[in-house]
Amino acid sequence: MSCANSLSVDGGGEFTFRSRVKKRLDNRPELFTLFLIVALSVFVGSVNRDFLQVSTFFDLARSSTVIGLFALGVFVILAAGGIDLSFTAIAALSMYSVTKLVVSYFPEAPMLLVFLAAASGGALLGLINGLLVHGLKAPSMIVTIGTQYLFRGFLLSFVGTVWVLSLPDKMEAFGKIALFSFVSKQGTHAMLPAFVLILVFASLLTWWILNRTLIGKAIFAIGGSLPIAERLGYNVRAVHIFIFTYTGALAGIAGMIHVCSNRLANPFDLVGSEIDVIAAVVLGGARITGGTGTVPGTLLGVVLVVLINNVLIMAGVPSTWQRVIVGAFILLAGALFLLRRKR
Amino acid sequence: MIHKVLFTAMAAACLSGASAGLQAQEKPVMATVVKISGIPWFDRMHVGVKEFAAATPSVTAFQNGPSNADAAQQLRIVEDLVARKVNTLAVVPMDPAVIEGVLKRAMDRGIVVVTHEADNQKNTNANIEAFDNADYGRALNEKLASCMGKQGKWTSFVGSLGSRTHIQWVDAGAENAKKYAGMTLVDAKNESFDDANRTYEKAKEILRKHPDLRGFQSSAGNDVIGIGRAIEEAGLQGKVCLVGTGLPNPSAKLLESGAISAIGFWDPKYAGIAMNKIAKLLLEKKPLTDGMNLEVKGYEKVSVKKGPGAGVLMVGNAMVIADKSNYKEYLF
Repeated sequence: MSCANSLSVDGGGEFTFRSRVKKRLDNRPELFTLFLIVALSVFVGSVNRDFLQVSTFFDLARSSTVIGLFALGVFVILAAGGIDLSFTAIAALSMYSVTKLVVSYFPEAPMLLVFLAAASGGALLGLINGLLVHGLKAPSMIVTIGTQYLFRGFLLSFVGTVWVLSLPDKMEAFGKIALFSFVSKQGTHAMLPAFVLILVFASLLTWWILNRTLIGKAIFAIGGSLPIAERLGYNVRAVHIFIFTYTGALAGIAGMIHVCSNRLANPFDLVGSEIDVIAAVVLGGARITGGTGTVPGTLLGVVLVVLINNVLIMAGVPSTWQRVIVGAFILLAGALFLLRRKR
Repeated sequence: MIHKVLFTAMAAACLSGASAGLQAQEKPVMATVVKISGIPWFDRMHVGVKEFAAATPSVTAFQNGPSNADAAQQLRIVEDLVARKVNTLAVVPMDPAVIEGVLKRAMDRGIVVVTHEADNQKNTNANIEAFDNADYGRALNEKLASCMGKQGKWTSFVGSLGSRTHIQWVDAGAENAKKYAGMTLVDAKNESFDDANRTYEKAKEILRKHPDLRGFQSSAGNDVIGIGRAIEEAGLQGKVCLVGTGLPNPSAKLLESGAISAIGFWDPKYAGIAMNKIAKLLLEKKPLTDGMNLEVKGYEKVSVKKGPGAGVLMVGNAMVIADKSNYKEYLF
């Protein structure tokens, strides 16, 4: 009797614990992303102790910056129920054109102006996306596939195909500014580049826009249900134009960081990395159908994707298997997300 | 009336112009078609074609190519040249399969066809390769071994695992390194996707995993840029050797800083001259014989074998391995 009693009490306790976890996960899907990050890190760290180093953290932060800026933009559009496939082409066109202009006409340009130019160029191209999506009433996927080809074709046909190898001193120096740096025991230099702060700032700004402004409310409302949002009187045109312009501006900045950290402007770069970015946003808990997601979740998704791409050699996965592992991991994580939601 | 007079005058002018043109046409027209115009590699080839034209006043030689890396655009240019009935066509195909048909038509019309970087092209009189892939891989590795003092861990990069020539290069390199008991190959054949940023990240990861790594052998053109930057930022110049395929101009800074030990390539200028020399020999109905001398740097002793189609496959010895001391001779 007492035995049965204690069993039922135990069972009940477990039930409440499980339901609490479930409820918490439903409210905050990014906790699941965090769990995957920790699990992966513990696994790789146990396979190879060298993984657990400060320089690993520095490198992950550096690799996350450009993809993180892209992801914030994609997240904003995804939250409003759209999708953007042209942001890498926007970044490439903007970064290459601005670099060329700066090199030929204004090599002494201050970095603030360079970034302002890249952001404005990106915003302008994003604006074209926004106007087309709204004006044509077409699915944003179709529109942005079209503009991706358009922007990239324009870049390679009219702007140039030759790499810019000698960046102006200020741009080259910008990529080398360190927040922290140290020399390891083996005499290897490691540093955390200062440009990661741009991602921090952009994240705070995006969070503020989505959670503290009227346009943020409108974005989630439209992503939740377009007809209802329209009936509630949200200005759909303004939202469409805003989200694509904002994403374009972030892409322009990301492109410029890419140039400064690589110390060369290659017009063939960036396009092709869209899938990684979209995977990051979805693994961060945003639904591909819109209306949900958070900025911290998106950033965790970015860390997860960057982590997967940068630990395989560490974990001893042979080159031939790396793509299989990345694909399987994303499939598995995505499936777990879906299963968790259906329950 | 005035119009008519004008028209007649113009027609006459045109006719005389045309006959002058025809007279010029007495000289054989030799066209070279590249993958993309305006990129440094094929600008350099253009230098070679111009040099050939200047040295061979008995022919009219020029170079043409699409503005995009687009096999369909290249096809249209080749079709146009075949319609104009040039005498010879030297092509660097974007995608050999796409132009098989038009090259067959060209050969049926009696146009001499020479290709480059297309050892699987069937419809060609001759395909010329700059070097034997295994020889090249061995040469890169030998340079790496001498830089590393024939001691220590090394790794290799390929553009992608599907890239046949890259695999041939690193396999030949690995075979070569077996000669030296002190050299150990670790985590071989990393894929770079010819993306300098990806390569940079992978190189850093490998350096973290193997702090005692002493050498990299890389394959795709951008690999040396990415790995070189990882070496330079870590302050490992002189401690870690890097030998790989790369172009002199983009690699210049890193060669100077010591982050890249040496780069390997072939000079498209001489490839351009060699293609046109072969085309001219064929036009003059002269034979192509094994071991022949084309009198072009790197093509002094060319092997000639049967190709995949009716034509021959020719291989030169035009590889260049350049380091800090001599890369300036090849700035492109």
